[in-house]
Amino acid sequence: MIWMALSVGRPATRALLYPICVYYLACSRQASQAIRPYLIRALGRPISWRDLYRQYHRFAATLLDSVYLLAGQGSRFDIDIQGLDLLTDRVARGRGCLLLGSHLGSFDIVRTIGLTQQDVEIKVLMYEQHMPIIRDLFRDLNPAFADSVIQTGSPNAMLQVKECLDRGGMVGILADRLVKEDQTTSCTFFGKLARFPAGTMWLASILHVPVILFFGIYRGDNRYEVHFELFAEEITIDRRHRDQEVQQWTQRYADRLEYHCRLAADNWFNFYDFWEEHQ
Amino acid sequence: MGASWLDPHRRNRSVSDVSPLEAEVAKLIVRTLTLKVDPAQIQPEEPLFGDGLGLDSIDALELSLAISQSYGHQIRSDDPDIVATFASLRSLCRSIEKHRTK
Repeated sequence: MIWMALSVGRPATRALLYPICVYYLACSRQASQAIRPYLIRALGRPISWRDLYRQYHRFAATLLDSVYLLAGQGSRFDIDIQGLDLLTDRVARGRGCLLLGSHLGSFDIVRTIGLTQQDVEIKVLMYEQHMPIIRDLFRDLNPAFADSVIQTGSPNAMLQVKECLDRGGMVGILADRLVKEDQTTSCTFFGKLARFPAGTMWLASILHVPVILFFGIYRGDNRYEVHFELFAEEITIDRRHRDQEVQQWTQRYADRLEYHCRLAADNWFNFYDFWEEHQ
Repeated sequence: MGASWLDPHRRNRSVSDVSPLEAEVAKLIVRTLTLKVDPAQIQPEEPLFGDGLGLDSIDALELSLAISQSYGHQIRSDDPDIVATFASLRSLCRSIEKHRTK
């Protein structure tokens, strides 16, 4: 598929996404069941198979576009960037920043912007064991991208984060998905409690750096919108009230995530039972 | 952050051969991370992460900052011995002894 994407071109490869998405729509009942409650909440109306199909197609299209982005073909995309000055101001002052993202939209479009900024070191904190095949493919496409990943799980992962920030770099974290050893905190998301990782806000408070949210929304065809917004100049959490304050900060994140989900409902790429309603 | 320090069996083990520095660093660990465990009960050879004391990588960062402040030893992520350093209280203290500036 990657070979085809790069040699046959984007339009022809995109044509393949239609049968692939129909196949998933027909065969992947579990993912469809999982995404249904999200769509009903985000769209505020009953949903049809078209809504489900659209979700698959948006996801497949951004995944395909990641191939082009990693292959250094970012210029083929029309990217509308809002709030970039939030980053450039801090970079100019040599201030490291934490960038908090989510599985709403494309992460790689934002990484591309980050990596094309001159002289800015950008790292991504990730639990890569999720998708070793995709990791290996992407490593072949762009070793620099792969080297920018800090693997969670090892004792020195957060030391690497701190050192990157101390050098004035940026570290991206996707703060909406749990990995198995995560501590969690419950936040209201579309009116219902869902678990979010608790470590993100606690980490941010230890690092004393500005926290900026980002969303890389795919708008169809070759158009992307990237939003950066300031979340906090510094997150301060009193250890004595740690659980409560972590929850409050994470709730603020969940609120902003919900806000952006409403603006781009079809960009939600958490294809699992997010509210854990069926366990 | 696991909860293995809640294991009641741990508390019954005898504490032996703990050096003064190890006792001091055990206190630093408990104080820094506000663990609900008696520092004297931390076994020097017990793993700090995972199945032992149950620390995680954010704890490792906080601990590194505290060690840097107290002993002037800056633990760096590219240190080839980093996994060994964080293996246990004893190995952590060996590293502090070797590199401390205060």
